[in-house]
Amino acid sequence: MAKLVIVSELVGTPGDEFHPEDGVNVEALIEGGFVKRSTAKSVKIDSNPETEE
Amino acid sequence: MPASNSVYLSNPVVTVNSVALTGFCTAATLNRTNTAADTTVFGMTARVYQGTLEDNELTLSLYLTYAASETYATLAALVGTQTTVKLKPTSAANSATNPEFSLTNCYLETLPVMNAALGEIQSIDITFKGGTYAAAVV
Repeated sequence: MAKLVIVSELVGTPGDEFHPEDGVNVEALIEGGFVKRSTAKSVKIDSNPETEE
Repeated sequence: MPASNSVYLSNPVVTVNSVALTGFCTAATLNRTNTAADTTVFGMTARVYQGTLEDNELTLSLYLTYAASETYATLAALVGTQTTVKLKPTSAANSATNPEFSLTNCYLETLPVMNAALGEIQSIDITFKGGTYAAAVV
């Protein structure tokens, strides 16, 4: 599930993740450009990569 | 003699749907109402009422701007939907002397999209209806 990221400083610190409180209309915030859905996926780093020798 | 406990409002905080609209707001009135039902019966000499449903209402006066991430952008998508609004007397932390009032799941029925007169700064009054009332002191 995409996380929500703050865009406008009227909502919080831009770039921070947005955690909506009870009753908050998230779609209206997105439509108004105040927050956006982050589509960035986390990159899994293999801590024990196989090496060719 | 001025009342020592009267509040001179200079920096109240207004938040609509998590958006800080303090810088656009000039007046706010929150009425907490519990609708009365008349339960008067024969033999009584005075009317008696019983509380039923809460019917709260918040009216805000706001400067209307169409710039990105300002008043219109905040409110346009809220018409006909429910949201949460909060306000408190000052920007200080919530406390018993600075309670943060909120209406959760209140309804915005009407948004004046234009209310302009020549030479005046455009201002609108909006009303949020219903919702669950709370007063946070921490």
